[in-house]
Amino acid sequence: MRHRAAALVGAAMVLGLLAAGADGAHKLRVVTTIPDFKALVEEIGGDQVDVESLARGSQNAHDVEIRPSLMLRLRRADLFIENGLELDAWSDTAVQGANNPKIVRGAVGRVDASRGIQVLDVPSTRVDRSMGDVHPLGNPHYSLDPGLAPIVTQNLVDGLSRVAPELRATFEKNRQAFLARVEEAMVRWTNALAPVKGAKVVVYHPDYVYFLARFGLIQVGMLEDRPGIPPSPQHLAQLVRQMKDERVRVVLVQPWNDLKLAQRIAEEAGAKVVVIPTMVGGIKGVDTYIGSIDYNVNALAQALR
Amino acid sequence: MRALALIVISMCTALGPAVAAAQDAAELRKQIEQLQNQLESVTERLKRLEAQPPPAPTAPAGAPGSPGVAAPPPASTPPSAMDLARPRQPFGLYQQRGSGQLLFDMGIAGDFVGNVTQRNVERAGGGTFAGQENRFFPREVELSLFGQIDPYASAVVRFEAGEETRGAETTVHLAEAYLTLLTLPYGTQARLGQMRNRFGYSNEVHEHDLSWVDRPNVMRNFFGAEGLQEKGVELTLVPDLPFYIEALAGIFNGDNETAFGRGTLQHPLVTGRLRTFLELGDEHAIQLGMSVASGDTDDRNRSTILGWELRYKYRPDSWLHPLVTLTGEWLYSLRKADVGVDVDGDGAIDRVDKRQRDHSGAYAGLEVQPFRRWAGGFRYDWSQYPTNPGWEWAIEPYVTFWPSEFLRFRLAYKHTDRSPQTRDAVNLNGSSARNVDELFFQASFILGAHPAHPF
Repeated sequence: MRHRAAALVGAAMVLGLLAAGADGAHKLRVVTTIPDFKALVEEIGGDQVDVESLARGSQNAHDVEIRPSLMLRLRRADLFIENGLELDAWSDTAVQGANNPKIVRGAVGRVDASRGIQVLDVPSTRVDRSMGDVHPLGNPHYSLDPGLAPIVTQNLVDGLSRVAPELRATFEKNRQAFLARVEEAMVRWTNALAPVKGAKVVVYHPDYVYFLARFGLIQVGMLEDRPGIPPSPQHLAQLVRQMKDERVRVVLVQPWNDLKLAQRIAEEAGAKVVVIPTMVGGIKGVDTYIGSIDYNVNALAQALR
Repeated sequence: MRALALIVISMCTALGPAVAAAQDAAELRKQIEQLQNQLESVTERLKRLEAQPPPAPTAPAGAPGSPGVAAPPPASTPPSAMDLARPRQPFGLYQQRGSGQLLFDMGIAGDFVGNVTQRNVERAGGGTFAGQENRFFPREVELSLFGQIDPYASAVVRFEAGEETRGAETTVHLAEAYLTLLTLPYGTQARLGQMRNRFGYSNEVHEHDLSWVDRPNVMRNFFGAEGLQEKGVELTLVPDLPFYIEALAGIFNGDNETAFGRGTLQHPLVTGRLRTFLELGDEHAIQLGMSVASGDTDDRNRSTILGWELRYKYRPDSWLHPLVTLTGEWLYSLRKADVGVDVDGDGAIDRVDKRQRDHSGAYAGLEVQPFRRWAGGFRYDWSQYPTNPGWEWAIEPYVTFWPSEFLRFRLAYKHTDRSPQTRDAVNLNGSSARNVDELFFQASFILGAHPAHPF
């Protein structure tokens, strides 16, 4: 009798787990490496999708810890969207631990969001790691440029439609509505930064090339000695001189950069530090793509004024 | 009749241009539609081109962060015959990854170790790097090749070179070569070939990736200096559950001479592992696991090793590295041994019985990394020997410095204390290695690609 009761409890637990595992099965399960793609998929997929991002907006997407909890999210994914330019080079290790054939490299459920992007900072000469942590495929921070939204969202619609072809029209309709809002916002952003067009800025790490290029701002220097290499005192002294000579008024940093160092250099050069997150969610409460660009543009325009 | 013919002719004459005009109009409409389509296509392309960012403003020459970088990329021209005949740059292959000419990744990891200890320890060969005491040597230089075989499988091949004994020629051997079937159903995956077994946490980790200079004592005592590396098949299952759990089962030859050694699939080494993971918010995470490996020794006795593992990390939000890492493993060995029994007390062995000898060992390591470039910690070891009597304990504090992600230096001190019963195990050439003090220096580098490591 006791055994039968135990068996019943066990069976109920297994059924409960299976039911919990099957929760949300009617929706497409989409996992993205970074929250920018999550925000874009939410715009396109609407209530047809459940989206999760592996990295948080406050994390450096280069250095995400590959926890088994990431593998668990990938285990259930119908679609996996990655940056494709080695921003999220850790994604293969996470996918391998997920045992999900739908999203392995080459499967229909794997989406490279960079397809068709005109990549900036592609090395045109021989590169090696004496130049720091260079990206042989080019700068991967393209999601910060709202002008590339038509191409990126096209890639997302193509990916979503591969796993749910019957919803292509819905996805495309949502995409067009989203792009219309981006186009409208683009006027606002361009106007906000028009008075400071051509302004020179210094960055901590070369995260902002697409964003700066879009709005006509110029990156003249970097706090890091070379990408990923902490700065030497000589480099910082030279940078301060350069900032003074070129009247640089703003240093752009990410939430995870060494803010004390950036603050010190900015003070020495008579500039100010502006935290510009490169991903949605980098600032608490800013959880949409347009909201994130709004925040960045306003913060930068205010600092440069 | 003639009049009728005239009427027909005049009608045809009158209608001819009208019909022709109608045909022309249809043709024109068709052409206009085609032009409209072309215009739409060109407009669409124009929109896409406009959506591209303008060329990035060029930083002044020599500006940091843009070494050899141009934006947008120049239009590529096909190489001339002279270009093709010219010797390749060292990074020629790597540069061509973008255009997909090299279809897999490759990387080299180098690991050099120096150690200084007492003379008696050197004579006894009782140091951590037995036979290499008071030397600086290339412990492991590893060439890794890895990538997708096809849409269904990936492969990893690793060659290792190192100086295994004092002053010996550096030898090269195949360290790992396995393929992973990625598209099996029901959340399963299979790995086939020669591999480091996924037994506990540290066994799978390569020497240069360990958090310490040396492998924990219990791993070396129970599996040998190289750890458990076997040839066979591993199958993993990650069920679709609300929490993470990975189940692993494997069948191997059982070639490891320290723990098993029978080396045949007639009496295979069978392995298993269960691993789970708990997240306590975004900043704290714990991995727990238990493993088993059971096979026959070369004298046909059963040897079973059980293992339990724990790994905890505290990584404050937006930090690029963990602040605190705690790692621990406990191994328990159940090993049958042939024991001669003198039944009648005449001093001669009358029969051989099989008796079980149980031994255990454990380690715990704590690392604190307050800065991106610096970390410090220590490891405490306690271990019995799986076949000999006695035990040893050790403490190993260390400090690690990373000039960059790809270069690392480590300095460590290790004190080992062995029980008196270990004379048989470590007491060669009339020297003793009961109390060992060692100073380690380690230099490690990575060239090229290196896969990311899981938690």
